[in-house]
Amino acid sequence: MKLRIPKVLAVGAVAAALMATTGCGGILSGGDENASGDSGPIKIAAVIPLSGSSAPTGTYMKNGMQMAIDEINAKGGVLGRQLQFDPEDEACDPTQAAAAANKAVSNGAVVSVGGYCSGATLPTLPIFAKANIPMIIPAANSQELVNQKLPNVFLINGTGAQQSAAAVKFMAKDGVKSVALVDDNTSYSKDIAAQTKKDLEAAGGIKVALATSVTAGESDYSSVVHDITGANPDMVYWTGYYQEGGLIINQLKAAGFKGKIMVADGSVDASLIEIAGGTSAEGVFATMTQTPDTIKGAETWIADYTKKFGSAPGPYSTQSYDAVRLAAEAITKADSTDGDKIIAALAAIDGFELFSGPLKFTPEHTLSSGGFQILVVKDGKFTLHDDLS
Amino acid sequence: MTQLLWNGLFVGSFYALIALGYSMVYGIIKLLNFAHGDLYMLGAFIGYAMLSSVGVIPASMSITALLIVLLLTMIISGGIGVGIERLAYRPLRGSPRLAVLITAVGASFTLEYGVSAIAGPNPRVFPVRLQGETFDILGARVSAPQIVLMVIAVLLMLSLNSYIQRTSMGRAMRAIALDPKGSLLMGINVNKVITWTFFIGSALAGAAGVMAGAYYGKIDFLMGFIIGLKAFTAAVIGGIGNIKGAMLGGLLLGLLEAFGSQWLGGEWRDVFTFAVLIAFLTLKPTGLLGERVTERV
Repeated sequence: MKLRIPKVLAVGAVAAALMATTGCGGILSGGDENASGDSGPIKIAAVIPLSGSSAPTGTYMKNGMQMAIDEINAKGGVLGRQLQFDPEDEACDPTQAAAAANKAVSNGAVVSVGGYCSGATLPTLPIFAKANIPMIIPAANSQELVNQKLPNVFLINGTGAQQSAAAVKFMAKDGVKSVALVDDNTSYSKDIAAQTKKDLEAAGGIKVALATSVTAGESDYSSVVHDITGANPDMVYWTGYYQEGGLIINQLKAAGFKGKIMVADGSVDASLIEIAGGTSAEGVFATMTQTPDTIKGAETWIADYTKKFGSAPGPYSTQSYDAVRLAAEAITKADSTDGDKIIAALAAIDGFELFSGPLKFTPEHTLSSGGFQILVVKDGKFTLHDDLS
Repeated sequence: MTQLLWNGLFVGSFYALIALGYSMVYGIIKLLNFAHGDLYMLGAFIGYAMLSSVGVIPASMSITALLIVLLLTMIISGGIGVGIERLAYRPLRGSPRLAVLITAVGASFTLEYGVSAIAGPNPRVFPVRLQGETFDILGARVSAPQIVLMVIAVLLMLSLNSYIQRTSMGRAMRAIALDPKGSLLMGINVNKVITWTFFIGSALAGAAGVMAGAYYGKIDFLMGFIIGLKAFTAAVIGGIGNIKGAMLGGLLLGLLEAFGSQWLGGEWRDVFTFAVLIAFLTLKPTGLLGERVTERV
């Protein structure tokens, strides 16, 4: 989901990854020998952040995947074989992600279900593509992933463009007249801010009073807060991550800002509210795909998850759970562990029930509707405000 | 305008507190202690641990509690700084400069990921948050906690300055900065003075960490990274090795950031700030007060 690195670096990392894959052709073809073959367990790989600042979300994802795998195995597995889970840590870092992807490939992965930080996911695409391993990406959603136009890549999270569209739709609906767009200078965040700006200008009626960036990882955002209070917009749209988001909300309120605040999906986390402190975050809106809390009928699922892992599910638990189920479905439909057949089965899926609704991929292998909705912080929790339908 | 000035000075005083430790250590043993920013992080976590173990603190007591925690944290983080010097830097005294530099980088990672392993990678919310009334001073919005923190920072810096100028330990520090071998021959216990320097520098960084935690409300294991780099920059602008220069450099960096963001927009702030620095150092490589090299520290 998040592209935490500058574009130039991402491109460099892709190049490096490409070189690594060509250079290590021996390793990759060697990998086929330990691939899942026709007997033994079917390996499901996930390159996700299990350390670093995105580790909490990575853990939510891993648990969601583990839950789906255990459920499927309890029912007898797929094609009469058990599923084996192979989570690999990428720490939201492109270099580590490329190494983790190579490791997953040589471990004999049949399907990859990982991908959270877009910046780290991007360099893994050519590695899995070369090994012809289908990728079901549950969280990463930068437009750049789609732009690679790789046949093996499927995104089951809404994309950045869909998120911007949802944001603009809500701004118009809410009667906002001027907006300040603030991003954290990373590609994921800048993508949404730039796309929102473009959409707003195309639609007309809402003025972009300020478009600016901050440096992630700092504590003091008084300078951007000063710029915002100077421009005095009706709404601030923050497209970065929750750590900085919480601080910015806190500092905006302390500086006496009275307008509305909206945040993008990277900021939807209970910590945002805690960091903002007190009741500062009350009334803050968010553009977000469905979370376990906002999905109707997910109560039993949440209870099962909580019982199994001792803590409640978080963002992307459901998408990750769905990614594994989708992988199992595709393998069953393909009646094979052959990459091409699974890819064809994925592309042909129509109406498979996910938490976000029945699934059918667009020709670009994205969801036909992003499923973005507007949440609001009420009594210290993100609750559904408007499903935009 | 006054708001920008105030914002710049406030952030700058944090940079200055951390820059002091960088500058002192460099002045004495010519080591760029890259683990210094992480002592700021460690200070924040020590303060966090102490405040959370106390339990709920009534709002009226929060300032008193914070001051006590501040003092204790300074002692503990000072001790940790001394420990790092003892374990990582002292055995390498006399080895090539690069080896020690890399050790410092290693110490930095050890602290960061050590804390991440113990306290977890998630950001923590500080148990006490300083939020108070705001006043209007000459058109700038200034809050009570900001004033309290500024006063603490200035007091710490002033007492450090007079300590170095007036006490025999301070004199010993200045002597070692001037000529370590000569000082040894004159009967100064060089190791003791270096230990003491690390203690003071680390204690100041720890204090800044607690203050940042209490004011901004969020701490995480990587919080020392960027501010460490900024403080290093501040120390260099001020003339590394020079105490007053470090203070001045910190304030100047804060002001540059505030005005850069206002003039060119947030995305250009760091470009502006560091372009000015490059230009400045090209014209005056010794930094603001670096010329008085006769007496470093």
